[in-house]
Amino acid sequence: MAASKVGRGLLSGWGLRIWVFLLFALFWQVSATYMKNMLIPTFTETIGGFIQLVFVSGRIWEPLYISNQALVLGYFLSVVVAIPLGLAAGRARLIDRILNPYIGVFLAIPVAPLIPMVIIALGLGLASRVAIVFLFAFIFITVNTRAGVRNVDPWLIEMAKSFGANERQIWRRIVIPGAVPAIFVGLRTGLGRAISGMVIVELLLVASGLGRLILEFAGRLQADFVFATVLVVIVEALLLLSAMRLIEQRVAPWAHDISVE
Amino acid sequence: MIQVRGLSKEFAGRDGTDTGIVALDSLDFEVRDNEFLTVIGPSGCGKTTLLRIVAGLIPYDRGEVSINGTPVTGPGPDRAVVFQNFALMPWADVLTNVAFGLEIRDMPKAECEATAMRLVKLVGLEGFERRLPKELSGGMQQRVGLARALAVNPRILLMDEPFGSLDEQTRRLLQEQLLRIWERERKTVIFITHSMEEAVLLGDRVMLMTPRPGRVKEIINVPLKRPRGHDTEKSATFVEIKEYLWQNLRSMQVA
Repeated sequence: MAASKVGRGLLSGWGLRIWVFLLFALFWQVSATYMKNMLIPTFTETIGGFIQLVFVSGRIWEPLYISNQALVLGYFLSVVVAIPLGLAAGRARLIDRILNPYIGVFLAIPVAPLIPMVIIALGLGLASRVAIVFLFAFIFITVNTRAGVRNVDPWLIEMAKSFGANERQIWRRIVIPGAVPAIFVGLRTGLGRAISGMVIVELLLVASGLGRLILEFAGRLQADFVFATVLVVIVEALLLLSAMRLIEQRVAPWAHDISVE
Repeated sequence: MIQVRGLSKEFAGRDGTDTGIVALDSLDFEVRDNEFLTVIGPSGCGKTTLLRIVAGLIPYDRGEVSINGTPVTGPGPDRAVVFQNFALMPWADVLTNVAFGLEIRDMPKAECEATAMRLVKLVGLEGFERRLPKELSGGMQQRVGLARALAVNPRILLMDEPFGSLDEQTRRLLQEQLLRIWERERKTVIFITHSMEEAVLLGDRVMLMTPRPGRVKEIINVPLKRPRGHDTEKSATFVEIKEYLWQNLRSMQVA
């Protein structure tokens, strides 16, 4: 029986993922072939396009570089602004109360409609793209940081006080380390959002980089290349998130897996 | 010597109105130098509140709490607390946790580590100094908590049901270890417990408290010879005092 040949190794973590992926790819291939829709490429066509863009013609690299400029600058900016903001909101009730309505607004609104306003203010260049990436990402980093500060184990603070620690020492030695796992959750969520922002602004208004590439391919009905470009973005996102996981393992090995991978 | 006179403490009601709880009402007692005082009482009798007041972590409303004549106004180097839920920093290894109290007092790093290492050995955790708390069992974690408290060399140890969240076997082992360490150091100890065996086994005197509001019902002498061990539990005196405690505690529990 074929089933019994599938040993424990093949069904382990990574094994299982590969199986699921292969099933998905098979399903995709079969249904796309059956549909014969010019705009829905098969799995193999997409992979073919991917290989073309990345390895053969190398057409993906320059747009990738252009788009990522906005990602790097925008994400870095959002981290630098959002973490102190989150720490302040977590620490001082007053600041939190002042900021709360704005935080609520930013969490609720879809950022995409803000894009035209940003463009009007900052033009059609890198500045707008950086601003949009920032807007997509920063609020999530802020609220997670704030939550991290607020949820530090109060017993640890009591313990620190019992040994005579002052406010500054408690902040530095207990609150900040205690908030690190939650901050990482925010950083990971923010990164995913930043990548979305990077592509969306290019699709909607500022035609450059990967977004422009997608629009070009779509305009020429080259569905396989459209999907392949999307695949590149997905691969980049996965790589960056994995890298962040590794950093988190190094920096905060004590944090348990409470979040989306 | 710790002197408590007419100590009273109220907690305000949740909505700030006058629906407060009187946690402690006119407590009067003394703890002599180098004495091991165990405190026992039903839940809600204010034992933990009392400990936190002596530790200087919360203020009190009326009365006097002083140590060798000096009133308690906050935490100090003469007292250290051992917590029921260990309160270890999960991101730091055993050595760093033990050294915490010393580092807070700005002791030079090398000295902190050396002192901490000495305590790590004392509680029998040598070899585990680089492990994180999550890699340790409950009993080991509490030994870290004990080491941390002893590291700052306090005159007074305040222990809030330190073995309460451990299984019975681990608890007995730690009781023995605590007794051995205490025989050497002879610090003044206030030890809160729910266990009558523990109260009689460890204490020179047992302070019995009543709940709602918290008051001292009686302080019972435990004339059992030291050094004590689990054999002590077989003695007639032990059984007698333990029975006496239970009779009292039983009648205090509101049905």
